[in-house]
Amino acid sequence: MTSAFFRIYHRYREQILRRTGPRGRVLLIAGMVLCLIASVLPWAVNGVGYTNPLGGNLQSAGIGGPRLYVLLLTLVAGLGLTSLDGRRRSTIAASLGNLVISVYILRGLVHEGGGTGAIGVGVWVALVGSLVLFLGADTLPVTPKNILPSLPAFADIALILVVIGVGLAALVVGLGIEDDKQFVAFALFVVALVFALNWLGVATAFTDAFERYRYIGYAIAAAAAFAFPFTQNGNAQWMAVFARVGVFAAAAIGLNVVVGLAGLLDLGYIAFFGIGGYVSALLSNAVFTTVHVHLPFLLVIPLGAAVAAFFGVLVGAPTLRLRGDYLAIVTLGFGEIFRIVAINWTGLTKGPNGIAGIPDLQLPGGFDFGKPHTLFGQLLPFQSNYYFLDIFLIAAVMVFFARINDSRIGRAWVAIREDELAARAMGINTVALKLLAFGIGATLAGTAGTINVHIGEAIEPNAYQFIFSALLLSAVVLGGMGTVAGPILGAALLYAIPEKLRFVQDYRLFLFGLALILLMRFRPEGLIVSRRRQREFHEGGSGADAMSQPGQVAPV
Amino acid sequence: MTQFLQQLTNGVVLGATYGLIALGYTMVYGIIQLINFAHGDIFMLGAFGGLALYDVLPHSMQDQIIIALPLCTLAGIALSVAVAVVMERVAYRPLRNAPRLAPLITAIGVSAMIEEGTRLWYPGAKAPLDFPQLLPSGAVTLGGVRISYASIVVVVVAVVLMIALQTFVLRSRTGRAMRATAQDPDTAKLMGINTDRVIVVTFVLGASLAAVAGVLQGARLGTVRFDDGFIAGLKAFTAAVLGGIGNITGCVAGGFILGIVEVMAVQYLPHGSGYKDLWAFVVLILVLVFKPNGLFGEEVAVRA
Amino acid sequence: MRNRYVVRAAIPAIIGVIAVTGCGSNKSSGGGTGSSGSHTVVIGLSAPLTGPLSALGLGMKNSVDLAVKQANSANKIKGWTIKFDPQDDQGDANVGGQVAASLSSESNLVGIVGTLNSSVAQQEQKAFNDQNIVMISPANTNPALTQGDNYASGTKTRPYKSYFRVATTDSIQGPFAAQYLKSQGINKVATVNDQKTYGAGLVAEFEKQWKKQGGTVTSHQTINPGDKDFSGVISKIKPTGAQALYYGGEYPEAGPLSKQMKAAGLNIPLMGGDGIYDPTYVKLAGSKSDGDLATSVGAPTDKLQSAQDFVSAYKSAGYKEDFSAYGAYSYDAANVIINAMAKVLPGKTSIDSTVRQAIVAAVQSTDFDGVTGHVSFDQYGDTTNKVLTVYKVKGGAWVPVKTDTFNS
Repeated sequence: MTSAFFRIYHRYREQILRRTGPRGRVLLIAGMVLCLIASVLPWAVNGVGYTNPLGGNLQSAGIGGPRLYVLLLTLVAGLGLTSLDGRRRSTIAASLGNLVISVYILRGLVHEGGGTGAIGVGVWVALVGSLVLFLGADTLPVTPKNILPSLPAFADIALILVVIGVGLAALVVGLGIEDDKQFVAFALFVVALVFALNWLGVATAFTDAFERYRYIGYAIAAAAAFAFPFTQNGNAQWMAVFARVGVFAAAAIGLNVVVGLAGLLDLGYIAFFGIGGYVSALLSNAVFTTVHVHLPFLLVIPLGAAVAAFFGVLVGAPTLRLRGDYLAIVTLGFGEIFRIVAINWTGLTKGPNGIAGIPDLQLPGGFDFGKPHTLFGQLLPFQSNYYFLDIFLIAAVMVFFARINDSRIGRAWVAIREDELAARAMGINTVALKLLAFGIGATLAGTAGTINVHIGEAIEPNAYQFIFSALLLSAVVLGGMGTVAGPILGAALLYAIPEKLRFVQDYRLFLFGLALILLMRFRPEGLIVSRRRQREFHEGGSGADAMSQPGQVAPV
Repeated sequence: MTQFLQQLTNGVVLGATYGLIALGYTMVYGIIQLINFAHGDIFMLGAFGGLALYDVLPHSMQDQIIIALPLCTLAGIALSVAVAVVMERVAYRPLRNAPRLAPLITAIGVSAMIEEGTRLWYPGAKAPLDFPQLLPSGAVTLGGVRISYASIVVVVVAVVLMIALQTFVLRSRTGRAMRATAQDPDTAKLMGINTDRVIVVTFVLGASLAAVAGVLQGARLGTVRFDDGFIAGLKAFTAAVLGGIGNITGCVAGGFILGIVEVMAVQYLPHGSGYKDLWAFVVLILVLVFKPNGLFGEEVAVRA
Repeated sequence: MRNRYVVRAAIPAIIGVIAVTGCGSNKSSGGGTGSSGSHTVVIGLSAPLTGPLSALGLGMKNSVDLAVKQANSANKIKGWTIKFDPQDDQGDANVGGQVAASLSSESNLVGIVGTLNSSVAQQEQKAFNDQNIVMISPANTNPALTQGDNYASGTKTRPYKSYFRVATTDSIQGPFAAQYLKSQGINKVATVNDQKTYGAGLVAEFEKQWKKQGGTVTSHQTINPGDKDFSGVISKIKPTGAQALYYGGEYPEAGPLSKQMKAAGLNIPLMGGDGIYDPTYVKLAGSKSDGDLATSVGAPTDKLQSAQDFVSAYKSAGYKEDFSAYGAYSYDAANVIINAMAKVLPGKTSIDSTVRQAIVAAVQSTDFDGVTGHVSFDQYGDTTNKVLTVYKVKGGAWVPVKTDTFNS
């Protein structure tokens, strides 16, 4: 049915093009003017008896809320009039952004305002304007993505600074928007803007600059990460979320080693996370614990990691020679075994209730993680302490990951992933290396797990169901397998977005499933792309990796 | 001794269900080398489909098991098959040539969507739902062992269907086409077999069997939940692997063995009931580590 | 070419998703709209608003909402308006932890009503206590929550000063059931529990009293929450000659268990605690469930006069769901907090930790007659009201059979 729709659309497009010909610019300008006008008109009717849920006073003329987004996007669309490469796609992105925002606001008005009578003039103008803009953009010639001219050193660094800074600002602003509808409009705006700028070459310029000045880039990113808690004004809500995101991101990086680097599909990964968690909980002298021992945390971290590693090797040794699919199910089985044992071995784990009342961490110097602290004049809620700890953890893990990725071991993993038989023929000890990857993944998960339980001050088996392994896997895949920053981005998106869009809470898993399907269909290499992966996925049927049956030879 | 025999019958009944679901797994894996993660949810949908029809039947028909049961089963099959066909077409077919990771993750996504979709949009599915008594009540007692009529029906239906499937695969033209496609899809295509259609037929058969299992299980236990598919699917997969993936009789045997093992563990191990679900995974791991081709496994054709 | 298709295909998909999510309503915030110029104080709720126990949770939510609305329209707290922030903990301890983190970080929140499940409460207590936010449960029955982990061996220590409950504990409920069964002439009982805080605790208390009375526990089994097939457990219990089955857990498992028991020929009554006292249990347990028993804290709501007012006010407020088993208790719990606020807040302009601590102290000294009876707390935060009722399934519904104050 969609193909029929497109056929009709193409036919009318031909007709329109024939009439406007090369004067598609007229459409473009007309659309821009309409959108600009729309961004100052009222979008909601005055005096209609409802409380305005959309924020900004949409009832009067002036720029506020969604109209600001429309204005900005229209300005970006204006670049379509230049001769920049990639302007077609970027203008399409901008116009679609306007269109979707208008439709969304329209829907919101009808829904909350009690009917079509609440819709102001501005929305209609915006709708029409963005459609015209889209049609105009469609007439632009197709060009490849724009490549910005190479910039001198300071400009590169400035670019990194600006992009990261703007990103942080957008995050803080976005999180601060209380109303769900306003937030969605904001998110739509950001997405459209990112797409548009991507086609104008900003993203490529950024990644190139980052590669060239990698360490400066990381420093700036770290600074931005450190700065985040200071933007929260003492409010703990997002710090609690991001403290958790940090731990999951660390776990995701660990899973990235297993899945992204070595190509082993582990569906029971969350169990290692849980093992680290239980070790930490049991040794923390919690209020409702079974083991009455209290070890200092600095000792517990390596202990938790070690126990997790032990189980990783235990699980991996007999099973890693299995085919990809089977390995996946077997690891899933281990994950479930862990969960069932945790639920039933009440003597140790307190069963389905888990262990509660886990005390906060204390550093030897008397620094209590459970208390808020004031730094640089800003009150930081206590979750920030864990957040900072997370940053250190992630940094350490990232360094480790990058080093191992570039090493002989990393290359051996790539070889195994691409064609295990050939790798073995080349003398690579595939068994040992796969076990190493598995063990490393387990260790990282265990480490992250030890910290995790202190944030929530409790642990219970239901947090380690299979679906959370799937969630972590999705974070890795979504972010970009095999890349350093990918899993962090994936974890941040997958854990923070449902927290923000509270009204979506009930649909969360459903949308999650849908997103997985779409992701695998259209962009399996994830958001942050590792070139190698992209080739693997899009080379068509011959893309071989450790997932395929042994004996399948990659065609020449 | 009677206790042992009693639990044995319980195990056989349980195993019949696992076997029916496992057949779907084994057929699909044999043909496209994909573990259809969402197959367990197809089983669940069968039960829900039957329940949905039952709720709209007029009261006179509701009480007549002999009419209601087949009708509800058909409804369940209709729903399961529909979803399975859409699933194959939309989610799996485009990824037929992608590296193995992609369809597996997609299958996880499909499973999540089906489960959550049912939970969100089937009225009342957020809590366990009452499933009608579509099986005959009452039992016969042989030597101290109570065998309910319901159990007999379940086992008989399961065995009959399995035999029917085996006959179909071995004797009919489509069955031959299925085996050919499983063995070597490219050559099969050259031989003029429409492999796409064959794959769809495979999905349809698997879904039908799972749906029957779903309705029978629902009628036997009296309750259905939207998350029934997850654990049932994993256990059925274990049964398939135990018997040897690709082997239909192996599947059936694997199902019965697994069912019996599970029930015996409940009976004879302390705290056995809590660890009930664990044994399936233990069996799975043991089989895959020590005898990856399963008990009756044939060497799975290596695609050249 | 392929990318073009992608972009084009994405458009309807995106618009579709937007349309769907655009349907979502804003975060619900019931409660009154106060006079302008007044300060806002927040009461929260942690209960399962979705999931299998949602019938109970929604009843709790509506009852608290009613209390808040009544307080606001009567301007009960001078200069302050009460806002109600209900959160869904899904009956899941993990989610509960997140709810606690989120609620405890709200600066204007002074108290919450919740939780329903003892296991969820365990994950939430510390977070609220750390912020001196008073937490009053209408339904938690596990004694450890107020008396510490070692209560069973006789050493009672109160773990959290800010946690209270208006429902009595399993230390009362379990033995009460044991006494009732004995009075019906039963001597042999099999027990099954779901190993959660509530179920395991209830069964443990029951068995203690049962053995003290000289009865026999013929079989002690455990299941997992979410289990559906109980044929193994039932076959194990059947030959032991039990005359009744005492179940510790909630109705999503108890219902099917009862149904399968009767179908397998094990025709003995199933008795449980307040976790199965819900109409959904009867629906799940089916037509053969007549004779099944449950206990619940407090007297039947239609017996007390103060309760009648609550019932009629609830009906006229037009809530979609029934107030179910814990509505009346939630109403009282909310009023405990409201009364405390009325004592502490007038004259104050903001909420800080001293205000919160004052509210905790005020709650501790609560003393009034609510819809469930007299409301006051002992040194552990437990209610001093020890009234319980036994209900029986008759003709497809729960019918009260015996109401009494527990005497050990």
